Amino acid sequence: MRRRAIGHLLLLAAGLVVLTVISAGSVYLVNRAREDARSVLHTVEVENQISMVQLQLRRAESAQRGYLSTTRLDFQSDFEEAASKLTPALQRLSQLISDNPVQKRLVDEMIPLSNQRIEEFRRIIELARTQRIDDAAQIVREGIGRDAMKHIDDLASQMRAEEDRLFVERTTSADRSQTLAASMTAVGSGLVVVLAAISIFLVRRSARARDDAAALLRDSNLNLEATVDERTADLREANDEIQRFAYIVSHDLRSPLVNIMGFTSELEELRADIFKRIAMLSHAAASAAPAPVVAGETEPVLEGEDKQLSQDFAEALGFIKSSIAKMDRLISAILNLTREGRREFEPVPIDTRELIEGIVATMAHQAAEAQARIQIEPLPHIVSDRLAMEQIFSNLIDNALKYLRPGVPGDISIRGRTKLRFAIFEVADNGRGIDPKDHQRIFELFRRAGAQDKPGQGIGLAHVRALVRRLGGTMSVSSELHCGSTFTITLPINWTLNKRNRGS
Amino acid sequence: MSQPVTIIMIEDDEGHARLIERNIRRSGVNNDILPFTNGTAAVGYLFGSDGSGRYHKGRALLILLDLNLPDMTGIDILRRVKENKYLKCAPVVVLTTTDDSQEIKRCYELGCNVYITKPVNYESFANAIRQLGLFFSVIQVPPAAP
Repeated sequence: MRRRAIGHLLLLAAGLVVLTVISAGSVYLVNRAREDARSVLHTVEVENQISMVQLQLRRAESAQRGYLSTTRLDFQSDFEEAASKLTPALQRLSQLISDNPVQKRLVDEMIPLSNQRIEEFRRIIELARTQRIDDAAQIVREGIGRDAMKHIDDLASQMRAEEDRLFVERTTSADRSQTLAASMTAVGSGLVVVLAAISIFLVRRSARARDDAAALLRDSNLNLEATVDERTADLREANDEIQRFAYIVSHDLRSPLVNIMGFTSELEELRADIFKRIAMLSHAAASAAPAPVVAGETEPVLEGEDKQLSQDFAEALGFIKSSIAKMDRLISAILNLTREGRREFEPVPIDTRELIEGIVATMAHQAAEAQARIQIEPLPHIVSDRLAMEQIFSNLIDNALKYLRPGVPGDISIRGRTKLRFAIFEVADNGRGIDPKDHQRIFELFRRAGAQDKPGQGIGLAHVRALVRRLGGTMSVSSELHCGSTFTITLPINWTLNKRNRGS
Repeated sequence: MSQPVTIIMIEDDEGHARLIERNIRRSGVNNDILPFTNGTAAVGYLFGSDGSGRYHKGRALLILLDLNLPDMTGIDILRRVKENKYLKCAPVVVLTTTDDSQEIKRCYELGCNVYITKPVNYESFANAIRQLGLFFSVIQVPPAAP
């Protein structure tokens, strides 16, 4: 997954780089093309300007000739006009080619020549105007000016050739940049298309993978729900089974116990009869005289071995009977627990403090006997099963009263607070406390801790914890020997019958 | 003096049956006791071959009934007895190990006259049976249904 994400990122980065390169290249090449175009234009302009210079020179010459042959003033003004235009044309030309040393040299050569020509023309015109036509014609005839003119034309054609060379060069360069730009755009576009294709392929592949995963997830969710339902049903069934089993077992165990107890009592009566007869017989044998009539109900008078036998008999029966009584208590306890487990809980709003005050009132006598003070602090109201709550707190308060330290006035307090959606109750005493190694044990069925000097079956706390669990809560104890105990119960403030609790 | 009451004891546990019988005898009751160890035989005797119970017309019966029988529940027998016009006047004493309040309530609703939990504490058991003996001697068996 991570690798795929990195691949996508790389792809995106590549696309970005390609696009940037294409853009930068295009901008650069467009600039180059513009530059080339400007150079081409420049070349054309330079050639144009050369022609302009030559034109003005020719115009000046022809005006001079015209004047010479006709001496008309029009020609003189024509000449002046051409001469005046020649200088700016030359200046412009030297400006245009200022970046090219070859052309510059040529122009520098050309400027004095043309100026010289103009001076010559002007002198001829001046001669003609002062009626010295012959002198003027003489100058013209000498042909000094023609060489200069020819030299100027040479220079001009040299400059043209130079410009042509530059023109060809620049056109080629422009062509090259254009080709480069075109190929660059083509390659870039191709790359972008390829990248786009790869992206589309990857996106589609990951979309398909996502769809598959979603379908799989949906399936497994459905399966999970079905499995959970199944397991819940199984658990509920198993729980019901255990309840029924415990009920039937405890019930059916009781039946033979009735017989054992009944016939043990019968045996006891038989024993009384038997030993009465033994006493009579032994007396009869010993004294051969009629034994003193033993009054019906009094213990027969026995001696020696007989007495020992009778005592052994009584002892055996005594053990049997006390064991039966104990077994009966255990069975009754299991029965009661299963009966509790089968009771349907009903959530009702409970004023916890009122409920506990009621419990404490019924224990006032015990509390007075133990010299204990029971203090109830304000407690949160909760929604829960009333009977279960009563059983929980009466068991805990009863325990607190039962296991006080002898000679120390009891101090029992019941506190409460809420945290998130739970109510936390504490039943604290200053009694004899519980050894930390027994903290787990005391919640087990039929297990007790500390000195076994108080009546009890070891059922109370097991029962309380079962109730607290059924109400969706937890309970714990914190205690040290001789330092009192605090039982903490955490219950949901708003308990409702849900799937889990129903049918259990 | 009306005809003596016959005690019908429906109890699957022979030990229990023996204990009950002994204690009844000890309390000085000498009426006939007819023991049945299963529901089917008891029902056969009570309702006769035609199922009407006419045979017992005019006879005085007292039924000692255990609720946990191997072949049917004592509750069924109780219901049928109390629905039968010849038998419904016979007092029924339910004697069982169950002390479930729901079940006790149900038995009384169906017309059971006395409900005794078989205690493991033998003295109280014997006592209860003897009380029952006393009970036998004072019951007035009403004139049989016409």
